[in-house]
Amino acid sequence: MASEKRTDQLIERKEVGMQRADDTLSRAKDGDQTAFADLVREHQAMVFSLAHYFSRDRATAEDLAQEVFIHLYQNLGAIESPAHLKFWLRRVTSHRCIDHARKKHKMKTVSVDDAPEPVAPPCFQDSLMTATLRRIVATLPEKPRLVVTLRYQEDLDPTEIAELLEMPLNTVKSHLRRSLTILREKVTRILGEIKV
Amino acid sequence: MNRFDDELRLAFRREEPSPDFTDRVMARIAELQKQEKPREKTDWLRKLMEFFQPPQMKWAMAGAMVVALLIAGFGWRRSVENERRRLAEIAEGERAKEQVMLAMRIASAKLSVAQKKVYETASHEGESK
Repeated sequence: MASEKRTDQLIERKEVGMQRADDTLSRAKDGDQTAFADLVREHQAMVFSLAHYFSRDRATAEDLAQEVFIHLYQNLGAIESPAHLKFWLRRVTSHRCIDHARKKHKMKTVSVDDAPEPVAPPCFQDSLMTATLRRIVATLPEKPRLVVTLRYQEDLDPTEIAELLEMPLNTVKSHLRRSLTILREKVTRILGEIKV
Repeated sequence: MNRFDDELRLAFRREEPSPDFTDRVMARIAELQKQEKPREKTDWLRKLMEFFQPPQMKWAMAGAMVVALLIAGFGWRRSVENERRRLAEIAEGERAKEQVMLAMRIASAKLSVAQKKVYETASHEGESK
């Protein structure tokens, strides 16, 4: 009885949240700057993290995230719903990341098998495993890197990633499989005793 | 889900950008708006472009183009046929005119022969009297 009541409360809270998101989006579309700022606040962690895990540079990630939100402001009329907004932001961020990497040639991409093993010590605030995983993922080529980030940061399944990146489903699955194999091998080699 | 997946989820959890991130985005938008004000005159062009951007509009445009091409082709063919018919009518008229002229010339020649004969007969009758 109590658990049913709690479920009902959760559903009600979720519906209220969705209505509020819908309302914020329509106010932003009507030109309400405060509502747009709310949208930015709501989605900035998602956009920034995608860019950050891709570029491994906070300043670059913030620049990319800013560009994404400015592009959103200019195309707000095309956004149909809060779910569409999330999809749109993920897609635009992914494309911006790839474009940035190609333009700058800062990140020299190598094949998964040839990727160098990280040698620098991990950042003190991350656990050893977290820091190692992030650095190994950063050495992956652009598309597999994005696929892994979308899979584990956004918890998207391969079908959603394929739709987002306009990529065949089998390619996404193969990127994931290969990347995970390499990640496991390298983590085991580096961290040895830690059970993965 | 295995432990490795959990480790990856933990490693790739979302992070917040700097605290003033939203303010900086809004400041850049305000700056952009200031720059865009003089460009409002060309706003109608942007709106027009946006109107034709959705995929449905692209299909509608393609359909309209095909219809317009068909109409133009049909019109061109009709005008060519009309011109050909007009030239044929002119040629027919010319031929009829030539036939009439020939008939007139023959009739005129026959009349002059008849007239000549009438004069000759009249002058013979006068001499015999």
